Amino acid sequence: MATIAPPAPSKKHAAAGQEHLVPVYVWELPVRLSHWGIVAAVTVLTWTGLYMNHPFLIFPGPRSWTMGTVRFIHEFAGFELIGALIVRFYWFFAGNHWARWREFLPLTHRQWESLKAMGRYYTFRQQKPFEQIGHNTLAGLTYIVVYTLLAVECITGVVLFAAVEGSPTLRFFVGWIPRLIDIQWIRFMHFFFLFLLMAFFIHHVYSAVLVAVTERNAEMESIFSGYKFVPDELVDMEVEISHLRPRQFFKLRKIHRSRHWDR
Amino acid sequence: MVIEESVLETCRRRGVSRRRFMQFCGTMAATLALPKSYAQTIAGALSQKRKPVLVWLEFQDCAGNTESMLRTTHPTVEDVVLETLSWEYHETIMAGYGKHAEAALKRVVDEEKGKYLVVVEGAIPTADDGIYCTIGGRTALDIATEVCGGAAATIAVGACAWDGGLVRSNPNPTGAVGLHEAVPGIKIVNLPGCPHNSVNTAAVLVHYLTFGELPALDPEDRPLFAYGQLIHDQCERRAHYDAGRYVQAWGDEGHRKGWCLFKMGCKGPEANYNCPTVRWNNATSWPVKSGHGCIACASSRFWDTKSPFYERLPHPAGFGVDVTAGEIGWTVVAGVAAATAAHAVGHVVRDHFHPGNGDGTPTEKAKAEKQTTEVN
Repeated sequence: MATIAPPAPSKKHAAAGQEHLVPVYVWELPVRLSHWGIVAAVTVLTWTGLYMNHPFLIFPGPRSWTMGTVRFIHEFAGFELIGALIVRFYWFFAGNHWARWREFLPLTHRQWESLKAMGRYYTFRQQKPFEQIGHNTLAGLTYIVVYTLLAVECITGVVLFAAVEGSPTLRFFVGWIPRLIDIQWIRFMHFFFLFLLMAFFIHHVYSAVLVAVTERNAEMESIFSGYKFVPDELVDMEVEISHLRPRQFFKLRKIHRSRHWDR
Repeated sequence: MVIEESVLETCRRRGVSRRRFMQFCGTMAATLALPKSYAQTIAGALSQKRKPVLVWLEFQDCAGNTESMLRTTHPTVEDVVLETLSWEYHETIMAGYGKHAEAALKRVVDEEKGKYLVVVEGAIPTADDGIYCTIGGRTALDIATEVCGGAAATIAVGACAWDGGLVRSNPNPTGAVGLHEAVPGIKIVNLPGCPHNSVNTAAVLVHYLTFGELPALDPEDRPLFAYGQLIHDQCERRAHYDAGRYVQAWGDEGHRKGWCLFKMGCKGPEANYNCPTVRWNNATSWPVKSGHGCIACASSRFWDTKSPFYERLPHPAGFGVDVTAGEIGWTVVAGVAAATAAHAVGHVVRDHFHPGNGDGTPTEKAKAEKQTTEVN
């Protein structure tokens, strides 16, 4: 067996190599807070909601208050979810480059490339996901759908809450909805979208782990810390083509340089 | 012929004691959510005022609202109020028939214009020029437009007169609609329910007699005193709901103990009506008290929207009659989970057989292996 000479690293390989990775502060605090706020709320809402639809535990005791408690938790978590969504919605317009609404839509040529490349990636026609610091465009579109589902869940939830709560203010805002769509179908939507969100949850965790394992860019850690580790050249390229104004370019670059661990 | 006597006088003539009459006035005040003192006001009004002329029109329906009013164990004051208002016309119970009956109706419309009350029972067909319900050669729509148009107020009793009810339920071959859709712009009080509760109907009439105006209405022209609250919030089984005690099957221990019927498809949580407080059969009972879930009979289009009556949620169209939202939902979740697992396996298998950089070029490891193979 002949000895194998280590091949000279190509330029591309060097760019993706460990030694040139820089930490980038991608997910700002409101993004992470709203993310985990949504996770916590949806987890609680799922279990309490499943119980409320089909009370699978019976408490024959004279002093139990199970459904009352479960409903209280559900309503509380529901308002927490609304709060988290409002924060995230605000951050679509006030956040950094990767949190803004433009990141979620295929608006630029590069975003279309990202969309097509991720399509190829998930159908095994391409081995690596599209190199992007924030969301890839396929994920962005998925999140648009998920935010819409969550918003519909919140609205239908408030309609159902208003039906039992009887507050004139709530009825003023949502009282017209049950006259357009029957309350039973509102209840149906409120229940059925839960399963779409559960299906999304499975896919979301899987694809995050998949990309994290493939890219080795601290994707999973980033939603806790806010930092992703990305090749220096990618940072330069994204800053160049991003929609940020020159001053924001500068600010962004300064963050990167100050957090630079390798140089 | 217009009877010139007050409700109290009619009651006396029918053998109703003053005590029962006062009891009735108190009940009416309570039903209308008025303070106790208003019982006196109501009694005063019913003792003095001449009863207005009333005509009862019956269109596409089962006569259930008439039955609900007539079939009580003994004549109550509600019946007296309803029966002894100057009824000039009621197809089901009037003695006259044919030309004489129609002449009576015509006389009321012509002579009492703007003063008489109309009670309408049943839906109005609109398909094919409304030929599916004609009385004396005239369509229901024609009669309703003329009679209701000249009335002081119209009371639409029952689900059919409100929004078409059973007659309008899918597929609605006669194009039936409720009265306020068929004859828009009239002064109307809707008293939905299948059938209407005659206590509420009497209360609306009493309110009109006492105050000279109709009670406060919600955006769908239903009186707030009767349709302002959820059944669920007034239900005597509500404590079992909050506690987590549910009937799981008909006749099980929970059912025998009178637990909550939520899991048996009770629509109390989405239905507005005063059924639990007013009740039926001289306030003896109401569906939930007797052990059957509410079917939301006073809700809009309830035959279509609230069915299946014995399940929590409607069944989505296009999946077969017995497929529930939960079954579809869990299938979606299981499908995505299976696809995810398959994708993960596929990923591992692909990486095993086709390692690469992702852009078509082989990885360094693959190159090295290839080199090794070539050298060998």
